[in-house]
Amino acid sequence: MNNRAGLAAGALVAAVTLALPAVLDDSALAVYILLGLAAMVTVGVSLLMGYAGQVSLGQGAFYAIGAYTAALLALAGVPPLAGLAAAPVAAALSALVIGTPLLRLRGHHLAFATLAVQLILLSLAGQLEFTGGDIGLQGIPQFGVGSFEAGGAAVYAYLTWAGLALVMLVTRNVITSRPGRALRALATSETAAASSGIPVGRYKLVVFALSATFAGLAGGIYCFYTGYVAPGSFPVLISIQYIVMAVVGGLGTIWGAVVGATAITLLVQGLDRLASLPGMPTYAPSVLSYAVYALVLIVVVLFMPRGLVPAISARLAKNRKELPYR
Amino acid sequence: MSAFLTYLLNGLAVGCAIALIASGLVTIHRVTGVVNFAQGTFAVVAGLCTSSLLGLGFPHGLSEVSAVLAAGVAGLLTGLAAIGRRGTTPLSSLIVTLGVGVLAYAVEIVLWGDQPRSAPGLAGSVTLAGARIQTHYLLVIGVTAATFVLLALFFGRTYLGKALTACASNPYAARVVGIDVRRMGLLAFALGGVLGGIAGVLVTPLRPISFDTDVTLIVNGFAAAVFGALTRPVIALAGALLLGVAETMAAGYGYGSHQLEVALGLMILVMIVQASRRSAISEEPA
Amino acid sequence: MIEVRDLVVSYGTATALDRLTLTVGRGEMVALLGPNGAGKSTLADTLAGLLRPAAGTVRVDGRLALIPEGRQLFPDLSVADNLALGGWRSGQRDPSFVYELLPRLAELSSRRAGVLSGGEQQMVAFGRAMMSRPDVLVVDELSLGLAPNVTADLAAHLAGLNRSHGLTVLLIEQNARLAFELCRRAYVLESGRLVTEGPCDELAGDPRVASAYLGGAIT
Repeated sequence: MNNRAGLAAGALVAAVTLALPAVLDDSALAVYILLGLAAMVTVGVSLLMGYAGQVSLGQGAFYAIGAYTAALLALAGVPPLAGLAAAPVAAALSALVIGTPLLRLRGHHLAFATLAVQLILLSLAGQLEFTGGDIGLQGIPQFGVGSFEAGGAAVYAYLTWAGLALVMLVTRNVITSRPGRALRALATSETAAASSGIPVGRYKLVVFALSATFAGLAGGIYCFYTGYVAPGSFPVLISIQYIVMAVVGGLGTIWGAVVGATAITLLVQGLDRLASLPGMPTYAPSVLSYAVYALVLIVVVLFMPRGLVPAISARLAKNRKELPYR
Repeated sequence: MSAFLTYLLNGLAVGCAIALIASGLVTIHRVTGVVNFAQGTFAVVAGLCTSSLLGLGFPHGLSEVSAVLAAGVAGLLTGLAAIGRRGTTPLSSLIVTLGVGVLAYAVEIVLWGDQPRSAPGLAGSVTLAGARIQTHYLLVIGVTAATFVLLALFFGRTYLGKALTACASNPYAARVVGIDVRRMGLLAFALGGVLGGIAGVLVTPLRPISFDTDVTLIVNGFAAAVFGALTRPVIALAGALLLGVAETMAAGYGYGSHQLEVALGLMILVMIVQASRRSAISEEPA
Repeated sequence: MIEVRDLVVSYGTATALDRLTLTVGRGEMVALLGPNGAGKSTLADTLAGLLRPAAGTVRVDGRLALIPEGRQLFPDLSVADNLALGGWRSGQRDPSFVYELLPRLAELSSRRAGVLSGGEQQMVAFGRAMMSRPDVLVVDELSLGLAPNVTADLAAHLAGLNRSHGLTVLLIEQNARLAFELCRRAYVLESGRLVTEGPCDELAGDPRVASAYLGGAIT
C-alpha cells in the first residue's frame, strides 16, 4: 500500500468509526464496544506473538487485572478517570513482576505458565473477600470526568475507539522505532538477535508489559461499561479468543489485529443471531461459537499461517504489479 | 492415622489419573515434539462415552474398552490435524491442538449436553489397616500400574516401540533407515488418546466429568509431565503421584480451597528452575 | 547402480545442486569429492529419498542404504537395537549376519550407542546400513573425525564387500587420499556443480585437484 492510499484508507476508517456510534442501536453498540475492546487486547497479543515470538494463553488475566483495578478504585470513591488510568498501570506492573521470572520460559512452557497465571488469578478472585468472591463486584459507578457522567452506550463506544486508536498509535511508534526493528529479529531467531547485541530479555519483557497494558486499559473500560466484574467474565476461552483474532489477522500487524477482532466478533455475532432463531436448540449459541473459534483457528494456522491481512495484501500486490510477493 | 491412610490412597488414585494424562503428553511430545493441549479432551471423551454406554445398558468392561478406543480415535484425529500437514512447527501444532480442544467442546455439548456426568465404578469398599478405602480407588491404582508396565514393555521390548523411541531419539536417522516419522507421530497421538482415555474412564466414577473438565486435567497433567522435562515418563509418574497426594492431603486437612494455586505455582517454579539450569548449561561452552 | 541426470535440488530459493549428472555402474565403487557446502550431503539425502528433486531424474537399481554424515545413530538405544532398526525396510531384524561381517559389533551389542567411541559408532552405522541388505551403499564422510587406523579398518571392510558381494558404492569424501586409494573413478563437486570427473590416477595428477584436496602435489 503506498502512502497516499494508506492515508485515505485511514481517514475513511476513522470517519466510519466516528459516525457509527451515532447510527447504531443499543444492542449493535454493545457489539461495537466489545469489538473495540477485543481489538485493543488483540493488538497486544499480536505484538507479543509476532514480535517476541511468544504465545500467551493468559492474556485474559491482564484484562481481568485492569477491570478489577478500575472497579475497586471506583467503588472506593476514586474518580473514574483516575481509576481508568490506574487499570493499564496495574496490568503493566503485574506483567513486569510476573514476566521477570516467567519470560525465562519459551514456547509451550510459557504458554502453559501464562495459562496457569490466569487460572491462579481467577481462582484467587473467586475466593478473596475484597474481590467479591465468585459473585464479583457490582454497582460500579458510571464513567465520568468532573461533572460529566457517561449516560449512554455511545459515550463508551467513543471511549473504546479512542483507546484503540491510542493503542494502535503507540504500537506503530514502537514497531517503527529502532528497538522495534531490532525486535523483529527476535521473533525469527532469538539466538541471532542476542548475538547481534540486542538485549533480548529486556525487550521481551517490555513487549510483554506493553501487551498487558493494552489488555488492562480494555479491562478498565469494560468494567465501567458493564457496571460489574466477576471471575466468570474472564474465562480461559477469552484468552484463546484473542489468539484466534491475532492469528486470523496476521501476527505482528496492527491492522491485522483489528481486522481479526472485527471478523471474529461479527462472525460469532452473526452465528449467535442464527442460533437464537426459533427452533434452534438452547445450546446452539455456545456450540456454534466454540466451533467457529476452533475451525477458524485450525484452518488459518494450517493453511494461512501469515494471517488474513498479509495474505490479502500479498494477493493485491501481486495483481497490481504481477510480481510475486517479496 | 486411618484418615491419613485414606487420604494417601485417595491421593495416589488421583495422582494415577494425572500420571496417565502426563504419560500421554510425554509419549506424544517425545515422538513429535508437540505439546498436545487436547490431552485432557481425550479423557473427557472417554468419560462421557462410558457414562452413555453404561446408561444404554452395555455391560461394564465392554463400555470402558469401547470408550478408551474412542479416545484413541480422537487422538489419531488430533494428530492428523496437528502434524498431518508438512512443515507445521511444534508451536503451530500446539495452537492447532488448542483448536481441537475447543472444537471438541462443540461436539461434546451437542452429544452430551453441558451438565457434568458420572458413571458407576467398582462398588464397595475395603478396610486396610483401619482405613476404609473405596474399592474403585484400588482399581485405579492397579490399572495405572499395569498400564505403566505395559507401556515400559512396549517401548523397551517391541520393535514398533523401539521405532517410536528411535523417532524421539533421532528423527533424521529414523528417516534414513526408512521409518515414516509422520506415521509414527500419528501412532504416538493415537497412543496418547488411549492413555488419556484410560484416565477418563477411571476418573469418571470418582469425579463427574463435563466438557470443560479438560482444562483441569491438562494443566495437572502438564504440571506432572514438566517434572520429567516432558520426556521422562517415570519422573512424570512420580510428579503426578506427588501432585495427587499433595492436593488430596491439602483438601482433606482443610486447605482445599488453594490446592489449584499451589499445584500451578509449583509447576511454574519447576519450569523456571529447569529453564535457568538449561540456560546455564547452554552458556557454558560459549 | 545409480543414475543421476540433470538433478536440481533446492532449499527454498537456494539451489544446493545444479544440473548434476553422475553414474555409478553395478558393482562399481566411485568417489565424490568436494569441500564443505558443495552439496555432497544434499545428494546423499536425495539418493536416500529424503529430499525431493526440483528437476532432473534419479534412478537407483535395487535397494539403497545410506551411512549418513556424522553417523546419526540412535544414541538412546543399544547397538543391537540400532542394527535391528536398520532392517526396518527389509524386515530383516536378526543382526547375526552383520555380526559375522563385523565381529566387534557382537561384543558391543548390549552397549548404548551414544557412549561408544567415534570409530565404534561408525562401525554401528556401517552395520545398520548393511542390515537392509543393500545393493547400493552411499557412504557420506566415512573418515570424518576418525583416527587413520580406524578409517583403514572400515575402508578394508568396504572394499571387501565391494569385491566379494558386488556391492555398488558411492563414497562421498573430503579425504581425497582415501577416496583415490579405494576407487578407480571420481567426481569433483563444488558449489552444487560438477567441476571435473575421471579416473582417479588422472585426477590425482590434476594440479587443481591436487592443491585443493591433497594439500599440494602428490608424489
